[in-house]
Amino acid sequence: MLKGFTRNFPLFKILTEEQVEAIHRGTLDVLQETGVSVYNERALKVFKKADCDVNFETKRVKFPPGLIEECLRKAPSSFRVKARNPKNDLVIGPGNILFFNFPGTGTVNLDTWEPRTATEKEHVNLIRVLDALPNVHFLNAYPYFGFSDGIPEIMKEIEGVALRMRNSTKVTVAIANNDIDIFTIKMAKATGTEIFANPNTSSPLTYYTDQVNACFLAAEYGLPSMIWDGATSGGTAPASLAGAVVLSNAELIPFIVLIQLLNPGARVSVANLVLAQNMTNGAPAFGEIGVSLHNVAFNQVWRKYGIPTVCSSCGPTSSKRIDFQLGYQKMMPTILSAISGSSVLQLYSSIYGEITAHPIQAVLDDDIAGMIGRFLEGIEVNDESLAIDLINEVGPIPGHYLDKAHTRNWWKKEQLVPKVADRLTYPEWMKAGKKSCIDYAKERVNEILAVHKVDPPLTDNQEQDIERILKEAKEHYQKKGLITDEEWEIYKEALKESGRPY
Amino acid sequence: MLKGFTRNFKPLEILTEPQLEAIHTGTLNVLRETGVRFESERAVKLFEKNGCPVDHSNNRVRFPEGLVEECLRRCPSSFRVKARNPKNDMIWGGNTTYFQALSGTRTVDLDTWKPKTPTRKEYYDAVTVLDALENVHIVPWYTPWFGFKNVSPVMAMPEGLAARLRNSSKFTCANYSMGCEIFNIEIAQAVGAELRSSMAASPPLTYYNDAAENAFRIIKAGFILLLTSGSVYGGTSPATIAGSLISSNAEIIAGIVLAQLIKPGTRVIAQDFSFPQNMRSGSPAFGAIEISLHQAAFNQIWRKYGIPTDGGVSYPSSKKIDYQAAYEKAIIALIGTLSGTNTIWIQGALYGELAFHPVQAIIDDDLVGMIGHFIEGINVNDETLAIDLINAVGPIPGYYLNKAHTRKWWKKEQFVPKVADRLSYPEWLKTGKKDCLTLAKARYEEMLATHKVDPPLTPGQEKDIERILKEAREYYKKKGLISDREWAAYKKDLESPNYPYA
Repeated sequence: MLKGFTRNFPLFKILTEEQVEAIHRGTLDVLQETGVSVYNERALKVFKKADCDVNFETKRVKFPPGLIEECLRKAPSSFRVKARNPKNDLVIGPGNILFFNFPGTGTVNLDTWEPRTATEKEHVNLIRVLDALPNVHFLNAYPYFGFSDGIPEIMKEIEGVALRMRNSTKVTVAIANNDIDIFTIKMAKATGTEIFANPNTSSPLTYYTDQVNACFLAAEYGLPSMIWDGATSGGTAPASLAGAVVLSNAELIPFIVLIQLLNPGARVSVANLVLAQNMTNGAPAFGEIGVSLHNVAFNQVWRKYGIPTVCSSCGPTSSKRIDFQLGYQKMMPTILSAISGSSVLQLYSSIYGEITAHPIQAVLDDDIAGMIGRFLEGIEVNDESLAIDLINEVGPIPGHYLDKAHTRNWWKKEQLVPKVADRLTYPEWMKAGKKSCIDYAKERVNEILAVHKVDPPLTDNQEQDIERILKEAKEHYQKKGLITDEEWEIYKEALKESGRPY
Repeated sequence: MLKGFTRNFKPLEILTEPQLEAIHTGTLNVLRETGVRFESERAVKLFEKNGCPVDHSNNRVRFPEGLVEECLRRCPSSFRVKARNPKNDMIWGGNTTYFQALSGTRTVDLDTWKPKTPTRKEYYDAVTVLDALENVHIVPWYTPWFGFKNVSPVMAMPEGLAARLRNSSKFTCANYSMGCEIFNIEIAQAVGAELRSSMAASPPLTYYNDAAENAFRIIKAGFILLLTSGSVYGGTSPATIAGSLISSNAEIIAGIVLAQLIKPGTRVIAQDFSFPQNMRSGSPAFGAIEISLHQAAFNQIWRKYGIPTDGGVSYPSSKKIDYQAAYEKAIIALIGTLSGTNTIWIQGALYGELAFHPVQAIIDDDLVGMIGHFIEGINVNDETLAIDLINAVGPIPGYYLNKAHTRKWWKKEQFVPKVADRLSYPEWLKTGKKDCLTLAKARYEEMLATHKVDPPLTPGQEKDIERILKEAREYYKKKGLISDREWAAYKKDLESPNYPYA
């Protein structure tokens, strides 16, 4: 099992108990009065059977508060997720803080800072770096959206899943568009790993059929779910933070109700990707600090529900470069989420929005994760660490602590030494060529890529299964017309180039 | 009055009540058993008169618990400090946080990142920038730099104070060295401003004569005294955070006892200025995460004592304005604010006490704005909960962009930074791929072109400052503390047609 970071002090809270109640009450009211639109007949029937007020014409479902509270109670507050290699099993639950990566569509050129599609090799390298970093506890869907331009849109993530299965033994996430998760889950099954089902809400208060089907798949295969909500306050959610928390919670709860109705006690967690709207250009305001206020309040409400939370909004920033702005836009939401009770933080490897990611950035973020982990451990207070006898013995100047056994015993326990931060003095730094953290991160990435091996690699049988499932997927989407004949020809060429069968 | 930022929720606390008691008890034990060495005879006599056992052979003063606790109680928990312009007055203490610039000895070249000595003009310009930045509430001692080209070291402090009073009407501070506090006090009194000055321990458990003498002078002038320890854990205090807190708090408390014995009710503020020792280089480990743990515990203890706290530790270890500098500064300032530091040094500093740049101060001002926005917390009331609005908008195709509620609330709920890059990729590529550093450089030029100090010094105040500076120069020449060679360069500087500005 992977050990996450342990928080040794009480949760940081920003709402009073009364404010939490007001948000909860508002959420129940919205679900009862207005309800949600569910574009999925199977789900409408399930809700109807559980005594929800269902209008099959308008697809509107309204929820009795008793049912909501019962379903919230059925969800476990802590659970295990099994990886292909048991050493990578996860425990998702309070007080154990895990990290994973936030994806980018593509990579970024570290000189011009312009985004571009990753090659297959770059895609594999990012997976390998994430597999190697001990504080990346599992992998998100992607990390890049496919590779090269020859792969049809619909096959990009399925090809990506195959790369993750081959190059990592960590748990990963299945996305739910156009049946992609059907093939993803088959691959996971073939390789003996669990995978997160990933139903996404559509704001405001709407659920499309593929996303709902993800809940049915989770029930069918007995998989854990990570439910995402990505409302934009001021666009698809109220501009006031309290209202945005009400709305996003009202959106997450119906999925939990459905999952618990299908499979009582099923493992669920809720991921918060609520962002503010950038009012000057209409895009989400990545890196905005109000997002952290939303997330801290969100954590506090969900702690009351006893359901683990995932902070996704700490991943994307509005900087296009690995620079000062990126540093504070990643550090602030991540530490605030960690001390306020997120069980999982989606920090690693992302740069701008959901557009760019880079393995160098993953290695840089590893130092942030380490620092946050050290902070969460808190301060050890006991007779030895208080060191009263030692202080009395050393006394005033010329006494000092450098030559004491106590210092030798303790400094390594107390201090975290970062992996790629520049910690030199000016003279040392000048002599060593004025290296910055990016220079050191490049070195660490090269080192990881030179030595890291996936443990264990897939067996021959598992490899064959992956290829078979890929083939099934290609045929499935050709038949559905999602891969055109023209795309198919280019696809074949692309696969040939990378030396792969088709 | 300057409002600063108000924390609207409970502070972050990382110690349990018994842990806090253990540190407090340990501190009292060290003060009673081992005590503190005071070089100043005047101080030793005052302690003895008030019932402290004194060993005159080594100037060791031991402190009875009753006296310690009584003196802690004499300190005001909250007080006003007066700036040259009353609109810049502040009230320190309680749940407010103010921010101040953080100095370095030299400036840096923004291309080569090498440190270099600033000119007189750069010094005055940097003060103008600090005066203009909305989240710089205090322009303290040594800021922007310790001194500037051609000024002999002994005159650096009075010259710096004069620059801060000429180009800023914000609250400022001045420290002590070679008796220069006498001139500093005169200068402040001439312009009707209060000063904060310090009394710094020399860890472990020692105060040299100049520190105590400065305390006597500052208290006589009726100004504010900052007590600081500056211990390095593993070097001049125990390697454990808990032990280091005991050692540095014992030093600070001894200083507070002196201040309250000199004049009961004296306004004091306790500064956390402790760093872990970088065991490889022997210098302090700037930017280390343990600093945040130390600071959070420090704030918790001093809140119990009812004494405002200052955090002087936001130095990065990075030499460049880069990713690392950002996360190091962000987490230290954020944890300090959440845990209750009342005045935090941050804007402008780069690598540990050695580098400052006004462009860095401009970038930091955004970070401070974010932190400030965060601690104001979430507004929860009927209007922000927006239940009626959420019910009215309903599921897709409903949305929030065109609602009056959004127009009203987004500006209150979002913090819009001044120099952060918030563009989308297409906008960013079209406008020349500008990063926060480029945008900050532009803001720097704009500030210098437009900002005016309000009010400027009167001709009478100018004359007084010049007179006092002249006295100081004569005094130090006579004492031989300005050598002939130093004076030759300094004199040339003074005869510049643009004096004092260039």
